[in-house]
Amino acid sequence: MSTSTVSTPDTTTPVEKRSALAPLGKPFAAAGGVLGIVAALLPWVTFTLNDGNWPDKSTLQFFDAPFAVTGFRWHVLLLGVLILVAAFAPTPSKGRVVRALGWGLTLVSFVNAAYITVKGGGLGAITALDGVTAFGSIVGLVAGVLAILAGYGIGIEPVGEWKFKVSTPVAYLVLLVSFAAVLYAVAAMLTTGGVGTSNPYSGAIFLSFLGFAAGVLGALSGVGFIRWLSALSEQHRVFSVIVLAACALLLPFTDAGNEYWMTVAANIGIYAATAIGLNIVVGLAGLLDLGYVAFMGIGALVAANFSGAATAHFGITLPFPVAAVAAAIVAGIFGAIVGSPTLRVRGDYLAIVTLAFGEIFTRSAQNNIGGITNGSNAIPGIPPLSLFGNEFNKSITLGAVKLPAGVLYYILIVLLVAATMAVFANLKFSRIGRAWIAIREDEDAARAMGIRTGKMKILAFLIGATLAGLAGAVFAHKNGTVSYESFKFLESVTLLAAVILGGMGSIPGAVLGAALLFVLPEKLRDFEDYRLMIFGLALILIMRFRPVGLIPDAHRRAEMIERADENAEEAHVEAKKA
Amino acid sequence: MSVLLQQLANGVIQGALIALIALGYTMVYGIIQLINFAHGEVFMVASYGGLATFTLLPDDLKKSPAVALPLMFVGGIVVAVLVAVIMERFAYRPLRNAPRLAPLITALGVSVFLQEAVRVWYPNATSNLPYPKVFPEGSLSLGSVNIAWTGVLLVGLSVGLSVILQTYINKSRMGRAMRATAQDPDTAKLMGVNPDRVIVLTFIFGAVLAGVAGVMFGGYLNNINIDMGFQNGIFAFTAAVLGGVGSIRGAVIGAFIIGLIKTLAGQYMPGGTQYDYVWIFVVLILVLVFRPQGLFGEPERVRA
Repeated sequence: MSTSTVSTPDTTTPVEKRSALAPLGKPFAAAGGVLGIVAALLPWVTFTLNDGNWPDKSTLQFFDAPFAVTGFRWHVLLLGVLILVAAFAPTPSKGRVVRALGWGLTLVSFVNAAYITVKGGGLGAITALDGVTAFGSIVGLVAGVLAILAGYGIGIEPVGEWKFKVSTPVAYLVLLVSFAAVLYAVAAMLTTGGVGTSNPYSGAIFLSFLGFAAGVLGALSGVGFIRWLSALSEQHRVFSVIVLAACALLLPFTDAGNEYWMTVAANIGIYAATAIGLNIVVGLAGLLDLGYVAFMGIGALVAANFSGAATAHFGITLPFPVAAVAAAIVAGIFGAIVGSPTLRVRGDYLAIVTLAFGEIFTRSAQNNIGGITNGSNAIPGIPPLSLFGNEFNKSITLGAVKLPAGVLYYILIVLLVAATMAVFANLKFSRIGRAWIAIREDEDAARAMGIRTGKMKILAFLIGATLAGLAGAVFAHKNGTVSYESFKFLESVTLLAAVILGGMGSIPGAVLGAALLFVLPEKLRDFEDYRLMIFGLALILIMRFRPVGLIPDAHRRAEMIERADENAEEAHVEAKKA
Repeated sequence: MSVLLQQLANGVIQGALIALIALGYTMVYGIIQLINFAHGEVFMVASYGGLATFTLLPDDLKKSPAVALPLMFVGGIVVAVLVAVIMERFAYRPLRNAPRLAPLITALGVSVFLQEAVRVWYPNATSNLPYPKVFPEGSLSLGSVNIAWTGVLLVGLSVGLSVILQTYINKSRMGRAMRATAQDPDTAKLMGVNPDRVIVLTFIFGAVLAGVAGVMFGGYLNNINIDMGFQNGIFAFTAAVLGGVGSIRGAVIGAFIIGLIKTLAGQYMPGGTQYDYVWIFVVLILVLVFRPQGLFGEPERVRA
């Protein structure tokens, strides 16, 4: 398809806005920052809501200490200060940073205001009522919007590039600190708002936290830190994987170390490992797979049938390592079969072929094909794993520390994810990985360069499916039940969304994407009904506003947003001339 | 023998339904090379739109099919067109120049969104909803074969509308603009064709046909559920590919073939109706692998 069918109006809008807003950039940023700080010190709710006091003493009735800010008011304060700092300190790509922080402030204010309004029965809950005032959320919203406009006023420059090199020990230290910060952020994300439904406002608190995190992450990305860090971690990738795994293993010792979050984290880990496998197929080789979860299903079914469960089809019980390898091999074989049409089919059509294979799997499993899937009755009662007499689903005591139940599964799965990451990272920078990337960029050119494209594409499917099969085997034992219901089209789409949300071809991206997509439903139990609708909307919005994902792969990023950056640069030059 | 004839008749009716949906896929793909995954959901939404129209009618109008039925068609079509135009404008148009993967994933998102929106917001949509009995009842008996009048109506509408569509695209000025845009959007633009208008019109045509299909589906099967969109959408897409994506005639013929495969495989292949779905996918894979241009399509051009 051509690249110039229709001129997009989107690239011109910010430019026009800039010309009008340019002189107002700094004043707006100052106003936004100051108002943000003011908003944090104001009360937010005029009366106690139906479900009790709104958190952090922001209810007028309980608003006794304006300077003791915690929770979301602390976030608002922090964002306000950061906006001021970013606007008046010599920050690289200032406009981007201010805009991102402004979005964070807007989101936090909006989530809280909207939730208070809905739960408190109308706008009276956030505005003046009976002579008392609680303008916090309105001031916060105004501050956020001002900061966004200020960002456009200052000018959206390309993301800053950090050229300086650091010595290896310093790099190690930076990575260590960053990953520790990531661990802290993950633990905070899991525990904000309390576990499950213990707090009536947990969903809102979590969304508000997410808004804050998005603002800060956007600012870090705008300033060029994320890009620099991801380059650094790729340079020292073995060290990175080890540190990340070590950080992840420390999670049970943080606030999130209870049975509930260990279970959720273990499930996230399984999907993260699968998503990394899918990332090989989609992210590296550029082959869209819409039926990928079937391989996980095949792995789970194989493991279930050799696990000694009462309804297993074969009378044989294999030890878990053997069963896991068998599951991986069988899934890999199916991967090669599903991948074989890639020899002749390309692009969208390939996506449809994989979708068709996925549907054939679901339908056959549902109808208990060959008696091995047990149809809609599923295969229940798969025994939990055990090591030296310790069952994996029981809690263990390590010295003086009592670790929560499920921690052993968590550890196993962290190791699985680390291993998958290592496989992915090594493949990506190997001859095979370069061949995949070449095929993704231009298959004909790759073939002309002497790459055996057919073989390589099947290999991508095979390796991806093998990893999924392995994850499926762990899934079977972890959950104790295997049903075709867990491996339907929607799961494939969710996995694909995890890869895309995180950033195609990037390893931390796949983990982050899987974490977000599988934590959100746990956190948003209040919005259970709207969960999938929000998911669909999120897919549309991500593709519209950030098709490269949250942590884009360096190469991929260059390919996908080069044009936007060029436009921004041109606009910037023109603005300077004028 | 009578079983075979009966299944052939059922297959033709299924095919007529699939054809109405497949035309929407094939036209959109022909013009902007987008697999509009959400098109199946447009069909589903139209079916609920028709039902909602009936529910909103005053009681005395509900009793006269001559008024209620056309109004249901209008309701279904209006809802389908609105949804299609909104999704084109806000989901697909901003991605016109994006990498090819982006619009496909957006389409998946739109599909999930529409299905969930109906599930959450339409009253009682979590279970099967009965369709009102305003359609002609009884059936046409030809020897041992019974064909419901709704089935006859469905086949008639499907064939009639596709002939009209084909004529419009071949003869009218706008149809020529559509064909030109499909062949080469840039040159078409230079010749004074407004691509945005052509693309919106394509979506509208697809939606109108899906609207008719949605209401007829309810009339023929007597109840509807929110899963009907995904499944029939996949059948329709298979039909479009089988006929050669971009070809109107191909989509219709492909649809009848798919309908026949579904009923005949359900009757005669091992596994019966539990596996009829699987056979359609097997056909899809075989077609894509061995004749990706379909029965009537041009060989795929290498895309830059």
